[in-house]
Amino acid sequence: MKKKNKIERMLEIPEEVYSNVPKVTITGFNELILENYKGIIEYEEFFASISTYIGVININGYNLNLEKMTNDDIKITGKIESVEIDRIEEV
Amino acid sequence: MSIRVLLKYILGYVKITVEGYYIERFINICTTSKILIWNLKREKGIKLHLNIGIQDYYRAIKIAKKLKCKVKIEKKRGLPFLLNRYRKRKIFVIALFVILIALYTSSNYIWNIEIRVEDNMQLENILEDVKNAGLKTGLKKDKINIEEITNRIRLSRDDISWIGIDLKGTNAIVKVVKAKEAPEIIDEKDYCNIVAQKSGTITRIIAQNGTALVKPGDEVQEGQVLIQGTMEGKYTGTRYVHSLGEVEAIVKYEKTEKIPLKKEENVKTGNKEEKYQIKINNFQINFYKTLSKFKIYDTIEEEKKFKIFSNLYLPISVCKVTNYELEENSKNYTVEEATEIGTQKLEQEIEAEIQNKESILGKNANVNETPEYVEVSVTYEVIENIGMQEKIEETYDQTEEKQ
Repeated sequence: MKKKNKIERMLEIPEEVYSNVPKVTITGFNELILENYKGIIEYEEFFASISTYIGVININGYNLNLEKMTNDDIKITGKIESVEIDRIEEV
Repeated sequence: MSIRVLLKYILGYVKITVEGYYIERFINICTTSKILIWNLKREKGIKLHLNIGIQDYYRAIKIAKKLKCKVKIEKKRGLPFLLNRYRKRKIFVIALFVILIALYTSSNYIWNIEIRVEDNMQLENILEDVKNAGLKTGLKKDKINIEEITNRIRLSRDDISWIGIDLKGTNAIVKVVKAKEAPEIIDEKDYCNIVAQKSGTITRIIAQNGTALVKPGDEVQEGQVLIQGTMEGKYTGTRYVHSLGEVEAIVKYEKTEKIPLKKEENVKTGNKEEKYQIKINNFQINFYKTLSKFKIYDTIEEEKKFKIFSNLYLPISVCKVTNYELEENSKNYTVEEATEIGTQKLEQEIEAEIQNKESILGKNANVNETPEYVEVSVTYEVIENIGMQEKIEETYDQTEEKQ
């Protein structure tokens, strides 16, 4: 992960815009939007694990739907029970 | 995103199921090769439902083949499929377009003329005058010059006080206010005489202002001066005044009528036949033989115009033609019957003319018999106010001043 330089700090640009850092937004308990993802590792009805550039996000729940997918964001709906994060050791 | 999905609907998309072991890889390859897929739903086991645009479908199939996945189409959605369905029904689509265009073009024309006279008064031949002035059915709306037409109608008729034309949809509403025949109002400062409106016998005369020229019992003719607008004083000499007064007289209303003793009448037998026809502007389509099965008949036509909304008339109308069978009946009246019919008819006619029914003094009927007909004459005697103010001509004034 690269460090913020001075200009970026001064302009207060959100981090997910200029770097590959993922942003997870959970609206209510039934909707999750994940920006800056890399790919899907596993997807089942009750479990989804999505890889990002700094680790893996595991989502547990029921009736999980990948409602909208584009190149850099994904929207998951369904009854979400837990969100886990697996960090990748920084090299 | 939703705009993109909506765009996909316009371009068309398919709902497919992918079956295989490497479904996650399939999703990843799709997203990296910029294929938009949405509404992914995993079923128990190895199935995945998803939506995909039709232009990306073949690329997705190739990916699925590489991953040894089975692809099945569940549903086809979007406009291209909808249009494809109608490609086989060309005539239907063409007819739909033709109807739409015909509707649009016909809505630019006037197809109905409605005449509304204020207070439900009757104006004779107003429709003809409107047509002669240039407002006809089948004219284009923007070619109608409303001002010019109203001016022309106003010129051709003098019993209209106001006329307005409203174009609403394909309906032209002509609103007319009938002019009231108001008596000429004479200013109080003007000098005037009181003249007889009708001829009759004077019963009472009261001159409030002016000189009475007639006495009760005198017979007067129509137009005769009853109260003159002059006053004669000892010192002032003759001077003109605005005469006022009441003049009551017995007025006779008389009418005669010849009633033939033999009369041929057509009586309805009760049989009728109904026929229908469709009129498109001036073109008729009949649904029947033109000849009626009856020998003598009355024909009543009812026309109903098609309209979509309250003011959007179409140039199509349905005509209902009803023929009533008639029978010739010759009737012989006795003299008594004929006189009764005659007097009743005349009484009704006269009573319609008399404004004040209470002032009727008496009525009189005379019968004149001949072998072929009976001549009935009815006379009503009515007390009426016959005085009417009439302005004295200016010339009198000037001569007076000169003297």
